[in-house]
Amino acid sequence: MALFSVFQTTFLLALLSLRTYQSEVLSEPLPWAPESLRVFINSTHQCLHLQWSVHNLAHHQELKMVFQIEISRIKTSNVIWVENYSTTVKWNQVLHWSWESKLPLECAKHFIRMRSAVDDAKTPKQSFWSNWSSWEEVHVQNSLGHDPFFVFPKDKLVEEGSNVTICYVSRSQQNNISCYLEGVRMQGEQLEPNVSVFNLNHVAFIRETGTNIYCKGDQGDSIKGIVLFVSKVLEEPKDFSCETQDLTTLNCTWDPRSDTGLLKQLSQSYTLFESFSGKKTLCKHKSWCSWEVAPESQEMYNFTLTAENYLRKRSVHLLFNLTHRVHPMAPFSVLFTDVSATNATMTWKVHSTGNYYTLLCQVELYGEGEVIQHNVSVEVDGKQLFGGLEPDTEYRAQVRCANANHFWKWSEWTRQNFTTTEAAPSEAPDVWRNVKSVQGHSVVTLFWKPLSKLQANGKILFYNIVIENLDRSSISRLLSIPAPANGTELNLDQCLYQIHVTANNSVGTSPASVIIVSGDPGNKEVEEERVKGMEDGFSLSWKPQPGNVTGYIVEWCDHPRGPLCDLQWKSVGPTTTSTVVSSDAFRPGVQYNFRIYGISTERVPYLLEKKTGYSQELAPSDNPQVVMSNLTSRSFTLSWKDYSTESQPSFIQGYHVYLKSKAGQCHSGSEKAVLSDDAVCCKYKIDNPKQKTFVVENLQPESFYEFLVTPYTSVGEGPHGAFTKVTTPDEYSPILIRIILPMVFCILLIMIICYLKSQWMKEKCYPDIPDPYKSSVLSLIKSKENPRLTIMSIKDCVPDSIEVLNKQEGTRKSLTETESSKATYLYLLPTDKSYSGPGPCICFENFTYNQAASDSASCGHVPVAPVAPPSQLGLLTSPENLLKALEKNYMNSLGEIPAGETNLNYVSQLASATSGDKFSLPTNPPEPALCSEYKMQMAIPLGLASPPSSGSSSLSSVTLLDEGEHYH
Amino acid sequence: MKVLAAGVVPLLLVLHWKHGAGSPLPITPVNATCATRHPCHSNLMNQIRNQLAQLNGSANALFILYYTAQGEPFPNNLDKLCGPNVTDFPPFHANGTEKTRLVELYRIIAYLGASLGNITRDQKVLNPNALSLHSKLNATADIMRGLLSNVLCRLCNKYHVAHVDVAYGPDTSGKDVFQKKKLGCQLLGKYKQVIAVVAQAF
Repeated sequence: MALFSVFQTTFLLALLSLRTYQSEVLSEPLPWAPESLRVFINSTHQCLHLQWSVHNLAHHQELKMVFQIEISRIKTSNVIWVENYSTTVKWNQVLHWSWESKLPLECAKHFIRMRSAVDDAKTPKQSFWSNWSSWEEVHVQNSLGHDPFFVFPKDKLVEEGSNVTICYVSRSQQNNISCYLEGVRMQGEQLEPNVSVFNLNHVAFIRETGTNIYCKGDQGDSIKGIVLFVSKVLEEPKDFSCETQDLTTLNCTWDPRSDTGLLKQLSQSYTLFESFSGKKTLCKHKSWCSWEVAPESQEMYNFTLTAENYLRKRSVHLLFNLTHRVHPMAPFSVLFTDVSATNATMTWKVHSTGNYYTLLCQVELYGEGEVIQHNVSVEVDGKQLFGGLEPDTEYRAQVRCANANHFWKWSEWTRQNFTTTEAAPSEAPDVWRNVKSVQGHSVVTLFWKPLSKLQANGKILFYNIVIENLDRSSISRLLSIPAPANGTELNLDQCLYQIHVTANNSVGTSPASVIIVSGDPGNKEVEEERVKGMEDGFSLSWKPQPGNVTGYIVEWCDHPRGPLCDLQWKSVGPTTTSTVVSSDAFRPGVQYNFRIYGISTERVPYLLEKKTGYSQELAPSDNPQVVMSNLTSRSFTLSWKDYSTESQPSFIQGYHVYLKSKAGQCHSGSEKAVLSDDAVCCKYKIDNPKQKTFVVENLQPESFYEFLVTPYTSVGEGPHGAFTKVTTPDEYSPILIRIILPMVFCILLIMIICYLKSQWMKEKCYPDIPDPYKSSVLSLIKSKENPRLTIMSIKDCVPDSIEVLNKQEGTRKSLTETESSKATYLYLLPTDKSYSGPGPCICFENFTYNQAASDSASCGHVPVAPVAPPSQLGLLTSPENLLKALEKNYMNSLGEIPAGETNLNYVSQLASATSGDKFSLPTNPPEPALCSEYKMQMAIPLGLASPPSSGSSSLSSVTLLDEGEHYH
Repeated sequence: MKVLAAGVVPLLLVLHWKHGAGSPLPITPVNATCATRHPCHSNLMNQIRNQLAQLNGSANALFILYYTAQGEPFPNNLDKLCGPNVTDFPPFHANGTEKTRLVELYRIIAYLGASLGNITRDQKVLNPNALSLHSKLNATADIMRGLLSNVLCRLCNKYHVAHVDVAYGPDTSGKDVFQKKKLGCQLLGKYKQVIAVVAQAF
C-alpha cells in the first residue's frame, strides 16, 4: 500500500513537471505569429475582410502556414465561426481572408482573432500554435444615424430559394416593432434587447423591381424599410450545339433558360471559350454566338459556354470535330427538264463546302397522294430521273442534302413543282341511254360519265358520237359534243343503231364505248318489287339470266320528284347478280325506282326487273283531302281519289277512318280508339291502299259527327290533325225539299214574268186611263156581267139642257185686245141633279179652249173648270170669230175623230167629272199625263191663240187673272 | 524716368489689352445685369399663373401615380412615408410683395425641378415599367422649366433681379432603394401641398 502511494506521488510529480515544461514551451511566442491584423467591413456584401502580415520571415523565405481564425458574435465567448486558412507565406507579404456573414453586420458586434502554426516539413516546430491575437471588434451600429430604428440589410440580392436574415436595430429597448413582408407580418426572434432578427427561408421570386420589407413601431411615428431583390436561379445553358454551313464560321446555339435580370442585376451574360486556341468571345446574343473558324486547319474544337450573373456562373462544354458538324445550305437551282407525260428529270446544285466533301441528297416526289423517295450522292450538281408518272399531273419535288461522310443534319428543303404533259384518254366513257318513243320516232338520250383524272390524262375537250344504222350499214352520222357536256339527245327512227362514244383531249381519243339502241325501249312490263333501303344504300339482287349477257346495268333517278330526274346508272359484270346502290343524293322519305337491265352479247339492253323502295321510310306528313258526299240522315260517303300513294314518304298500307260522335258507340266494322288528346272515337280500317272511298253508315239522324281519314304505313300513320265536322239531316227534310223547291221555283218564275211584262200587264189590267174599247178585261166583264156598268154607249148620252150666258166684262182686258168683248159661257148641266158618278157622262164640243193654252203639254190633260177663264175666252168673244171657228170646226158628236189632228188641245172630261166641286177651279190640278187616248174636242187656229206661257198651263192661267177675280 | 514711363506704360497697356480696352464704354442700361436669351412674353404674369394652375391641377395625380407604383406599404401609410417632411424646402410667404413672392417661387421651382430630376432618374431604374408615371414626371418637369424661365424674366425685367440664390434637395443617388422611394414620395407630397398655396398666391 505504501509502495503504491509512493508510486502514485512520483507519477503525479512527473506529470506536473511535464505540464510545467509544456506551458513554458507554448507560452513562448512563435516567431511567425500573425501581426497587424486589420478588419474591413463590406456592408453591401455583408463581408468581413481580414488583412494581416507575418513578420520575422527571412528574405525570400517561403513558409507553409496555417492560420486559425475565430469569429464571435455579440461577445467574445460566443464563437460562431472557426476556420483554418492554409497558405504559403512569403517574406513581407500581406495576407487576406474574407468571411461572409449570414447576419447583417449592422445587427450585432463581431469579434475576430487568429493564431498561426507552421505547416511546413522543412520546419521542425510545426505542431504548435502561436498565441491568439487580440480580439478585433467590429461594431457598425456606432456609425448609424439618429433614427429610432433601422432595418438591415439594405438592397440585398439573393437567389430564389435561398435563406435571408433580416434584422432591425432600435435605439430604445422598449420599442415594440413589427415587420412585414408583402403586407404579412413576420415572426422574429430577439438577438439583443434592441435587436430582433427575422429568418426568411426559401425566398421566392416575386417581381423584378424587388420586394418591400418594412418595419414600424407601435408609436406609429416612423416606417423603415428595405427592398429585397430575389433573383431567379441562373440555370445551365441547354442544348448547346455548334455547327457550320460553310466551314468558315461556326454558329453555336443554346437555350438560355430563364432570364435572371433584375433591377440590381443585369441579365446573365454568355462567354464562349475555346480551349485549343485559347480564344474567348463575349456573346452579344442570349441564345447564339458566332465563331470564326481559324484559317489554319484546326479540326477539333473544345468550347466552354459560361453563363454568368452577379451571383453565379454556369458552364457547359462541347468537344467536336469541325467536319462532323457540317450543316449544308439548302440546294438551289432546282430545275425540271425533259418533262413528258410519264417522265421528268430533276437537276439541282449544292453550295460548295470544300473539295473533299461529298453530299448525300434526299429527293422526294409528291403526287396524287403518294410519295416517292430517292437518295442521290452529289458533289456539285445533282440529277434525278422520275419515271412512271401520271399524265397531266402536278407533282411537287423537294431536295435536301447532308454530309455523306459524317452525317450531322439535313439541310433545309428546296421545293419545286412541275406538271407532266397530257396523254390520250385511257378509258372509254361509261355510257347509258334513255329511249322514248314519240310519234313513231325514238328519242334517245345518251348519258356518259366524265372520265376520272387518271382516265382522262388531260383536259377532255369534246366527245365524239358516231351513230351507225345497223339495218342500213352504209349510213352513219358523226356528232361532236363539247365538254363538259355529259349527254345529248338523238332523234332516231325505229331502226337498229349502234352508237360509239369517245372522249377526246388535246392529245388523242379514248377507246370507244359502244351501245345498241333500237326503236323498242325494251321496257317490257315486269313486276315491281319492293326493296328496303339500308344506311349505305339499296341492296339490289336479280335473277341470273340464262342466256349470255355481257353485263348488267342498274338505273335509277337521284331526284325522282324533281323535274330533272338526274338519271344514274351502275354497270356490273356478267357474273354479278347483286349490287349495293348508294348515293349522297338519297334522302329519307323519297321513293326511288330501280330498273335492272341485262346487256346482251349484241350489246342490246333489255329490262329485267324493277324495284322500288325508300332509303328510310317516314310516317306520312299529310292526310288526304277528303270529299264528303251522299250525306243522308243515316250515312255519308268519303272520297279521296286525288291522294297519290306514290309521292308519300313511305309505302301506304291502308287508311284509318276516325269517326267521333257524341254517342260514342262503335258499330261493327269499327273499333274504339283513343286519340292522343284522350278523345275516344271509332276507327275504321281500310287495308287496301287503292281503296279511296268509304261509306260511313249506321249514323243517327240530326247528329253531329267528326271524321278524319289518315293513311297508315309500316312506320306509323298520318297526323291526327283537324277533324271534319258533319251533321246528319233529319229524315223528312229531303221530302220537304222535293216539294218546296219546285214551288219556290214556279213562284219565282211567275214573278219574273210579271216583272218583265209589267207594262203589258198594266195596260191590260189597270191602265192609267182605262180605255173601254181596249180593256179586254172590261170587255170580258161586259160580256159576262152588266155591259151598262162598264162601257158607256153613245145612245146613253142625252144632253138635258144647255144654258149659254153672256156676261159683260167691262173692266177686264185681254192680252191681245185692249178691251174684251162679252164672254160666252157654256154650261153643261145634267138634268139629273142626283147624278154624281162617272157613269152617265156629258158629251159635248167645247169651243172655249184654245190651242195655246195646252201647248205646254202636247198631249197632256189640263183639267179645267167647265167654264173657261174670261181672258182666254177673249179671243173668241166676238160672235164672228166664234162662228168662223164653228164653221171650220163644227161641233162633233162623240163619235170618231179623224186621226192626224193631234195639234189640237182638249179638255179632260174625266177631271171635271171626278171633281167634287165641278164648278170650281181645282187648286191642285193633276200633272199632265202622256199619251192620252182622248181626242181633241175643238181645234183653234194657231194665229188666234194667245202666246203660250213658258210655265204650266195652270200657272199661266193664274197669272193672267186679275186679283179679285174668281170663278163660280 | 521719363524714358521708363514712356516705355513701360505702353508695354503694360499692351500686356493688359483686351477687347474693349481703350474703346469707349457703352451706355450701361438699367437692367444691364439681367441678360435673358429671349425677349420675355408681354403677358408674363398671366402665363405664370396659368403654369402654376397647370401644375396645381396635375400635382395630386402625379402623387397618386407615384405612391401606387412603389407598392406596399406606401399607398396605405401615406402619412408616415409620404408626409411633407422636407426640412430644407424653400419657404414661401403668400402675403409678401410680388417681388418677394417671385423670388421665393423661383427658389421653390428650382428646388422642385432638381428633385423631380432625381425622382425621374430613380423611377426609371426602380420602376421601369411604370410608363405613365415617367410621362407625368417628365411633363411636370417640362412645365417647371418653362415656369422658371418666366419667373426669371419677370424678375429681371420688372425688378432687375439677375441672380437668386437657390438650394437643392438631397441627392438620392447614394441612398438605398427604399429610401429613394420614400424621399421621392415625401417630395411629391410636399410639392402637392406647396403648389396649391403658391398657385393661390398668384
